Amino acid sequence: MKRVFQHPPEGLTGKRYWRSLGELSDTPEFREWLEREFPAGAAEIAGDEVSRRSFLKLMGASMALAGFGLTSCRKPEMHLVPFTKSAEWVIPGKFLYYATAMPRRYGALPLVATTVDGRPIKIEGNPLHPDSNGATDAFAQASVLDLYDPSRSQRFVQERKLSDRATFEKYIADLRTRLAANGGAGLA
Amino acid sequence: MANFFPRWTNWLPLKIMICGIVIVTALVGATWYYDTPKYTRVGYMPTQPVPFPHDLHVTQLGMDCRYCHGYVEVAAHSNVPDTQVCMNCHTQVQKDNPKLQPVRDSWTTGQPVPWVQIHRTPDYVYYNHAAHVNRGISCFSCHGEVNHMPVVYHAKPHGMAWCLECHRAPENFLRPEDQITNLNWKPDDVNPAAFVAKYGQPQGVKEDWSTKKHISQREIGLTLKQRWDVNPPTNCQGCHR
Repeated sequence: MKRVFQHPPEGLTGKRYWRSLGELSDTPEFREWLEREFPAGAAEIAGDEVSRRSFLKLMGASMALAGFGLTSCRKPEMHLVPFTKSAEWVIPGKFLYYATAMPRRYGALPLVATTVDGRPIKIEGNPLHPDSNGATDAFAQASVLDLYDPSRSQRFVQERKLSDRATFEKYIADLRTRLAANGGAGLA
Repeated sequence: MANFFPRWTNWLPLKIMICGIVIVTALVGATWYYDTPKYTRVGYMPTQPVPFPHDLHVTQLGMDCRYCHGYVEVAAHSNVPDTQVCMNCHTQVQKDNPKLQPVRDSWTTGQPVPWVQIHRTPDYVYYNHAAHVNRGISCFSCHGEVNHMPVVYHAKPHGMAWCLECHRAPENFLRPEDQITNLNWKPDDVNPAAFVAKYGQPQGVKEDWSTKKHISQREIGLTLKQRWDVNPPTNCQGCHR
């Protein structure tokens, strides 16, 4: 319920109340400036005094409703993305144990590596092996970090020059035939 | 300035109170009814990138759930199959069907198929598939009749109250372990004599169940619960670790 102010009509006594000096002087320049600054009829769009105000109200309300209600209430679509070809024996999230060995100066140390999603997370001794009965030393335990060493070479490098897998495999194949021929002479 | 307020404002406090009560009741009622998993989740049927029909593969072709969802017996989370599993058959079957084009593309390019996830427990819930599947809870109990779904939809609410329905009374849902992937199994299918021969009957039951005509779900469940020592946790830490 809007209160509409009914101003009393302009007085008949002749007193004219002015709100600025320009209005008092009432020069043509002032009247031109007034026309430009406050064009007559600017507040009404269709002639209705409150239409611009109500238009703005409507826009504000609908914007608030749209932003509040509709955009983020739907369940977000989430995806299950499997492998195309999964690695053998790997179940995501489940540990996979590999029996392995670590070459040491005096021989190999039998180990069991715990891997998750293909990433080794723990090295333990292999309790079934009679050589160590499952014992490891600090170096073996710490060697799991070697697998994540950032200075590990990530590319094939031959004599300080970048190489590729094909060259490497050819080199290994040649080496194998050479060593098979001379019975492993020259190997450490 | 004596009567500043008009007369009709005398009724305002009462009107405001009544309006407030009505609005609050409506909001509470609406939230109570609509903001539950039973309303928000059941019926969710998103479009998948490949229109895989379970009814064709399971009911018509007779494939077992575990051929594709292989991790369900061994791991906490179940899996959707890799492209390789699909291509095991589809390198030969329906080789040129356009509906399988995304699968073939995935196989050749190596990009996986982005399936849309339907069933998801919140992150604060710890759920283990293997613990349920290996103890006589069928796929049907939680996922509904997938073998009749051309497009998979969320059939059960998966809210905590719904989980507790079973956790508090597992005998209402247990079934013999070889019937887990038989989504059409009903307690009427069980031959009481054969059942008692294999699993026995609960201790303390004097009646001989092998002579009964039909054995009910509850009786089957009680037998299996005692035999397998099924004790699902009903305390908070059971699932909210």
